[in-house]
Amino acid sequence: MSEVDQELRPPLVLGDKSLADITDDIAAPMVATPSRLWWFGFGLSSAALVLGVAAVSYQIAVGIGTWGLNRTVGWAFDITNFVFWVGIGHAGTLISAVLFLFRQKWRTAVNRSAEAMTLFAVMCAGIFPLIHMGRPWLFFWTLPYPNYRGPLWVNFKSPLLWDVFAISTYLLISAVFWYVGLIPDLATMRDRSRPGWRRSIFSFLSLGWNGSARTWHHYETVYMLLAGLATPLVFSVHTIVSMDFATAVIPGWHTTIFPPYFVAGAIFSGLAMVLTLMLIARKTMHLEDYITLSHVERMCKLMLAMGCIVGLAYCTEFFIAAYSGNAYEQFLFRNRAFGPFSWAFFTMFTCNVIIPHVLWFRAVRRNLLAVFVVAIVVNIGMWFERFVIIVTSLHRDFLPSSWSYYIPTSIEVATLIGSFGLFFTCFLLFCRVAPAIAIAEVKGVANVKKAPVEETPEAKEAVA
Amino acid sequence: MTGDRATAEPLHRGSTSASDRSVDRRQFLEAAGFTLSLTALTACTRQPVQYALPLGVMPDSFAPGKLVNYAATCNGCPAGCGLLVGVRDGRPLKMEGMPEHPLSQGGLCAVGQALPIALYDRHRLEGPLYRGRPAEPDEVDAVVREKLQKIRESGGAVRLLTGTRTSPTLSAMIENFLGQFADGRHVVVDVPSSWAIRQAHQETHGHALLPRYFFDRAQVIVSFGADFLGNWISPVEYTAAWRKNRIPTADRPEMSYHAHFEPQLTVTGSKADRRYRVTPSDYAVILAHLARELGAMALPDGTPPLDTASGMSPSDLRSLAKKLQAAHGASLVVCDSQDVFTQQLVNAINEHLGSYGKTLDVTRPSRQRLGDDAALAKLLEELAEGQVAALFVADIDLLHDLPEASRLRTALKQVDLVVSFADHLNATAKVADVVFPESHLLESWNDFQPVADLVSISQPTIRPLGKTRTLLASLAKWSGQTGDDRTLIRRHWEKYIRPTAKEPGSSFTEFWDKAVQLGFVERKVTPIPATYKAPAALTWDRKAVPEGYTVVLYTKVGMPGSRHAHNPWLQELPDPVTKVSWGNYVCMGPKTAEELGVAEGDVVELTVDGEKLELPAYVLAGQHDRVLGVALGYGCPGTERFANVGPQWLEARPTTPPGEPVGRNAAPLLNWQRNTLRCVRHGVSVRKAGRHRALAVTQLYHSLKLPESIAAYGAPDRSAVVQATTLEAFRKDPEAGKPEVHVDENLDLWPPDHPKEGHAWGLLVDLNACTGCSACVIACQSENNIPVVGWDEVRRNREMYWMRVDRYVQGDDDDLDVRVQPMMCQHCDHAPCETVCPVLATVHSEEGLNQQAYNRCVGTRYCANNCPFKVRRFNWFNYRHDDDRENLALNPDVVVRSRGVMEKCSMCIQRIEAARVEAKKEGRDIEDGDIQVACQQSCPAQAIVFGDLNDPKSRIVQLAKDSRQYRVLEEYGFRTNVGYRRIVRHREGGETGGGHHHG
Repeated sequence: MSEVDQELRPPLVLGDKSLADITDDIAAPMVATPSRLWWFGFGLSSAALVLGVAAVSYQIAVGIGTWGLNRTVGWAFDITNFVFWVGIGHAGTLISAVLFLFRQKWRTAVNRSAEAMTLFAVMCAGIFPLIHMGRPWLFFWTLPYPNYRGPLWVNFKSPLLWDVFAISTYLLISAVFWYVGLIPDLATMRDRSRPGWRRSIFSFLSLGWNGSARTWHHYETVYMLLAGLATPLVFSVHTIVSMDFATAVIPGWHTTIFPPYFVAGAIFSGLAMVLTLMLIARKTMHLEDYITLSHVERMCKLMLAMGCIVGLAYCTEFFIAAYSGNAYEQFLFRNRAFGPFSWAFFTMFTCNVIIPHVLWFRAVRRNLLAVFVVAIVVNIGMWFERFVIIVTSLHRDFLPSSWSYYIPTSIEVATLIGSFGLFFTCFLLFCRVAPAIAIAEVKGVANVKKAPVEETPEAKEAVA
Repeated sequence: MTGDRATAEPLHRGSTSASDRSVDRRQFLEAAGFTLSLTALTACTRQPVQYALPLGVMPDSFAPGKLVNYAATCNGCPAGCGLLVGVRDGRPLKMEGMPEHPLSQGGLCAVGQALPIALYDRHRLEGPLYRGRPAEPDEVDAVVREKLQKIRESGGAVRLLTGTRTSPTLSAMIENFLGQFADGRHVVVDVPSSWAIRQAHQETHGHALLPRYFFDRAQVIVSFGADFLGNWISPVEYTAAWRKNRIPTADRPEMSYHAHFEPQLTVTGSKADRRYRVTPSDYAVILAHLARELGAMALPDGTPPLDTASGMSPSDLRSLAKKLQAAHGASLVVCDSQDVFTQQLVNAINEHLGSYGKTLDVTRPSRQRLGDDAALAKLLEELAEGQVAALFVADIDLLHDLPEASRLRTALKQVDLVVSFADHLNATAKVADVVFPESHLLESWNDFQPVADLVSISQPTIRPLGKTRTLLASLAKWSGQTGDDRTLIRRHWEKYIRPTAKEPGSSFTEFWDKAVQLGFVERKVTPIPATYKAPAALTWDRKAVPEGYTVVLYTKVGMPGSRHAHNPWLQELPDPVTKVSWGNYVCMGPKTAEELGVAEGDVVELTVDGEKLELPAYVLAGQHDRVLGVALGYGCPGTERFANVGPQWLEARPTTPPGEPVGRNAAPLLNWQRNTLRCVRHGVSVRKAGRHRALAVTQLYHSLKLPESIAAYGAPDRSAVVQATTLEAFRKDPEAGKPEVHVDENLDLWPPDHPKEGHAWGLLVDLNACTGCSACVIACQSENNIPVVGWDEVRRNREMYWMRVDRYVQGDDDDLDVRVQPMMCQHCDHAPCETVCPVLATVHSEEGLNQQAYNRCVGTRYCANNCPFKVRRFNWFNYRHDDDRENLALNPDVVVRSRGVMEKCSMCIQRIEAARVEAKKEGRDIEDGDIQVACQQSCPAQAIVFGDLNDPKSRIVQLAKDSRQYRVLEEYGFRTNVGYRRIVRHREGGETGGGHHHG
């Protein structure tokens, strides 16, 4: 970081940290005994997870009938949750890959947890296409591989199949990207831990990292390449997910605006989730100096921008429906807003389009409680967006004779709660076993104290 | 068809060409072995074995796994429709209409279709009961005989109470049986009865008879409450006849005019060209004025004026009178009123219009409703006074189907011997001394005489599953006659039927064989010399209708009475008018509901003269504001069995509340007036009970008109889905009613992805003929093993029917526009379901069918979401198939689907394949008419045609050229292989009803 930069831009890491301080601070939650708060969170989320596992087991044992679906509404909570979780993941990739390519240095404070969040969100998302099948034990039939059944191949025309590819690719790339980014930090952890099983694991996972310039060079190259690979995924995955709907003939689904609309929505919801998690982590893990108000503010600005795109997309849909002259389309949108599910529509609209506009105010952006509330509201709104798209389009389509309504069952609600349980359980465990902030990267952007410090190998590397 | 038909006669199977066949070694051994074993068998048994003998020699037409049709006659109701019983491997499976039958003409209603599931009902009584405990038939016979002997000696009164039984053999037997007693009488009861019609003819024609109606000969039909397309007397017969004048073509743009007066929407009211909303008491007023207008008679003294309150304006009346007059000799007025005065007015009008001898016949009358209310009233009196020594009850459940059950129950205690023939333990059977359950139709020999000049026979297709026998056999046994039902019927036919038959044949054996094989025999009968004599001047003696609501008790199309209460298919069948399955409810008009502050499912309490009835409300368009409707035939003891008929899971709710039957018995509201058991009850008060019981409705939105607040700009309705026009518009432009949408058949981005070079199967449904009676729904259920899912699942919109009948009601209540549309998989050539399935479980066949491979389906439900017609059905659970007897009703040609897979109409692919095999065996190609899909086969209105769209000579292609042909959502380019033909209403102007423009 040049001197000029340091003077012009506000520091990204506060509190006059030395490199050792940074390492200590970030590594602290991994070595300390978990706080009560952590235990509380872990207890709550693992209870939710157990509830979810029970619900899913029951559903698989008894049938999809344990959900509130019907002959008209064939998807509801299942695919809503799927799209919601995939969307959550997108912000992680955006922050770690896209912002990396754009050299947005502030990302270093949040990218690690955002990537982890992506990974866990995609895991949560991946569960739903599996369990939403009537016969999930035959899920492997959706994979194209040579087989003895004919051979019977998959239908390459089906967007669901594209989903299979998109989601599996996404999960793979996200995992690799996250892991590669972790390597220097894992090496730090290896060096910090006392000999024992902990150290063996870290040393195994850090793949013999030795901090040499050559290692760094390779690392940076791979990281850059992976960032390059992951970037298109930010756009492609949700584009493909949106095609589940866009390629269908159902009014409200059959829309060309869906790919950009879904990508924007995904990032919007993802940012909201990152903010939610960050604000909690910041507080509970005492990372105020690393995740600063300016970070929060930037995230808020990004979220506001995305919210505006999403709002524009909503309005465009209505305009196009009116403009198209397609009576089915027109009816669908009027029904969406003023039909039996208008409560869902207005929940969505309020949460996603109206409330985020408070972020135009700097005072709000810098008020952590306000930001937290807005982030939660956007999370809720974005869940409803998917619910609205799926359920309101299906419940009243072409023939009025088949019109129906949808009411979720306890099993579906438990499954949704369970997915949050899985997500938070994984995230809380992650905070305990890996540095929640990329130590090496943060050091790169930290305004390191001038006072002489005890030179550690890590610090040297970080400066390099 | 006759040639394909087999007979259950044991002696004459495949005997035609046996003599000219040379015998080889194998056959000799077979024959020798058969003879030997037969000798051995006959040596072991005292009586000749008459049926259920393993087939030593296969008859020509018999092969394992092959479906063989046997002629029979339906006894679901007394209409006596011709039946073909499809039997496979000794199991009767599928009921179909008999195309040659002079009455039903190939049609069969939902009740007839549902016979097999009743046959295999595990809850049917398996044998006689004596004082509530199972007993051996001999034991019971001894008891009954002994008691009867005592009664014979003491001269006590013996009464036999049955529903309408048209059987000539049984009539003779009853006469014989009752003749043995000093005071024996047969009382026939129908609920609701047509006794008033017979009584009115007694007054006007001197004979108490029910005329035979010929709707095909009528150009103007005026019906007062008679739901002749739904459930009035002989709906299948009438539908087939009515249909003949309802098919306008561009070349012959003619059709009959049909006006209908009713308080509550019915199947017939839905099809009428003009429907008037009136109360049952308005019938007489309108008829009297109509008779005056026509000049048939003077207005009876004291007739109230025809005011608008009766739902009909004087100008409407004049124009109706003009129409009737213009169609002199080709018009028909029918009425279901149970009031003799009203029926006399009907007779006067029909006489004046020259209808007698043309559109209705009293010289060869119908016997389809013989119920005699006066005789029933007398019997109830005798019972109350303890004058009856022995009471035999068949068909009806005395303590359930009639009012004042508690009084009757006490009265029955004074009867020495109460014998019930019920096949389930109903209320009467529970208190009867002896229950001797009747065999199911398919287990027994029966004969019928639905109209004077037609007798039919019904052969068994399976040996009785329990120790049951027919009423005929029981009476024979108890009157000391020998022989089983077959012998008795044969004997009667030899003596009485053959001498009067049009084609008596050269010997009785020949005559009998032919009759059994064909199923019916036409008779020569001496016409009854009944001519009209104007009755003495009628005077208006109607009492003013008391305050309060009028309740009309009716029977549903799918539930003609408590006799069928144990039939799960009929219980679940959505009513054609209300689309409600499982149970009954109080129908009320939207205004009434608003007045009472009641919404659908709110329980209301009806009170009249101390009788109370609590049922959920159903809001039905077109209902008279002062009239409520409640279906009879519900609340039957024993139907608690259906509580767990559906899938059982965490949030599942039982089909019936714990310990309660399906629906509530409305019979206590029946009332006696002038010796008639009336289905109309006046002076009923209604109040909200404050509870809610959701109704299992399959259609939640009932109109093609979109909700006003959210309708699309410039497209307030979806009438293009079920297109309709008027006859006047149709005469001017045969394509009238076609919506203005751009459809370009040739516009396609890609070359056709499914070139159909061989056959291209398609369906065509004539919406003008379709009445929505839902016979096809049960036909499809029976053919395709569609599970019964129970109230809770239907309520959750998870019914499994592959075929449904959509019903749309729009317009104002005084002039409804009702349109029905059978909806099944449309087999799109550009099928939205096919492209989205990730595993190719639904694919297009080379013959244009959209096929579902259950094995391959992983159950993503994407196809169902993307189906514009929402015809795909998902197996939410493993539906119950744990009753191995009920499973006998399953069609072995169709897979029973397991949970997690999608299913839908296959266009009866199994029938297509069977026809292909037959054609291949005969070395020819499939010909038009070889294949009849299940829904098509039994359609009473013959509204459905299946065929090869690639065969220019096929009937479907010929019909599809018609100007009325259209396809649903054509503008979307799905290229459906199911076509529809537009509705044409016989009306002036462009309005199809409801006072607003359509199409």
